Amino acid sequence: MTMPHRYCQDREDAVAACALEDMVLLYHRPSGQTHMVISPVPEILAALADGAALTAKEVHGELARLYDLGPAEHAVPQIEAHLTELTALGLVRVA
Amino acid sequence: MKHALSLKIGPATFRIGSAWRQPVEALAQLYAAYPDPGNAVADFTVRLEPSGFLRRWLRPSIFITGDHGLADAAPMSLTHGLLAAEMGMNLQMALGWRRHLLLHASSVEKDGRALVMTGESGSGKSTLAAQLGERGWRLMGDEFALLDLETGKIFPFPRLVSLKNGAIDVLAAEALPARMGPLLAATAKGNIRHLVPRPDAVQRMEEGAPPALLLFPRFGHAAAMRGVGQGEVFMRLTQASTNYVALGEAGFAALTRFVQGVPARAIDFPSGEEAIAMVERLWEELA
Repeated sequence: MTMPHRYCQDREDAVAACALEDMVLLYHRPSGQTHMVISPVPEILAALADGAALTAKEVHGELARLYDLGPAEHAVPQIEAHLTELTALGLVRVA
Repeated sequence: MKHALSLKIGPATFRIGSAWRQPVEALAQLYAAYPDPGNAVADFTVRLEPSGFLRRWLRPSIFITGDHGLADAAPMSLTHGLLAAEMGMNLQMALGWRRHLLLHASSVEKDGRALVMTGESGSGKSTLAAQLGERGWRLMGDEFALLDLETGKIFPFPRLVSLKNGAIDVLAAEALPARMGPLLAATAKGNIRHLVPRPDAVQRMEEGAPPALLLFPRFGHAAAMRGVGQGEVFMRLTQASTNYVALGEAGFAALTRFVQGVPARAIDFPSGEEAIAMVERLWEELA
């Protein structure tokens, strides 16, 4: 059985964020790219704040304390998919 | 180059060189009221060169180049030399300016605050700015609005207003004939005539103003108005900026500040008169 990935944010000061009404802009300093994201992406990134390196299941655990995410068997794969996309963008790294 | 002229427009200085006399003479006449940059080092050079051997004399054909060039720019007829020079200056600004966030937008000022209008070619932003510039507003520019990275103010770039097709008669009816350039017929964008901005627009061309209203005008539709969300505004302004990516985080900070601080509306209008009435009304309500 393979170990689940642990994810962490790209280095601490890598992203400048700005909330615009119902979306959040993320300026990624290392790449110079601007990303427009909506919920739950900002919340997932917030769960990885302060150097946390979490699995998708652990991210779900953090978010479930604050939000109603529905059944874990549906929510965890969705969080994993978001983490995979964020990794591809360079906003998140596999720890 | 054989013929040359230096121009200062807003914060930018240009050195325009030409293989032919006519475009430089036309520019000198239309920009006569602009300040002389003297011996200042130009920010940009624009060169109007023959597009090939013999093309200086035989069916003269202009290739626009300079510090920044587009390899696939189509050559233009010498009869459109004035337009080539204007396009050359625009090209240098669009590709090379880094001191402000450059928005493809027109802008006008009243009561010390700026109205910014952005949209695609044909949206009416240029004509509307020119008309407002004849009716108590200060024209800041019909093509580029310069957003200051530190202060968030809009700074003018009041080059000649490029009037196209139907807009020519509209403005010819309002402005003195001496302020209108020659008719450039059948260019790639149709008929074009340039309009010299009013003297106050030129005299105050280094004076910025904080932005108070952003409009997305659209000419040729029944009168309508809608609010535009901040996300859409941000996306459209990054598309309207030629140097957002190049400026990096400074551009991000300046643009997000603008989007968060400036109310935005999209307006559709069937005529210039209706557009002006809508603008004045929105200015009273929001700015």
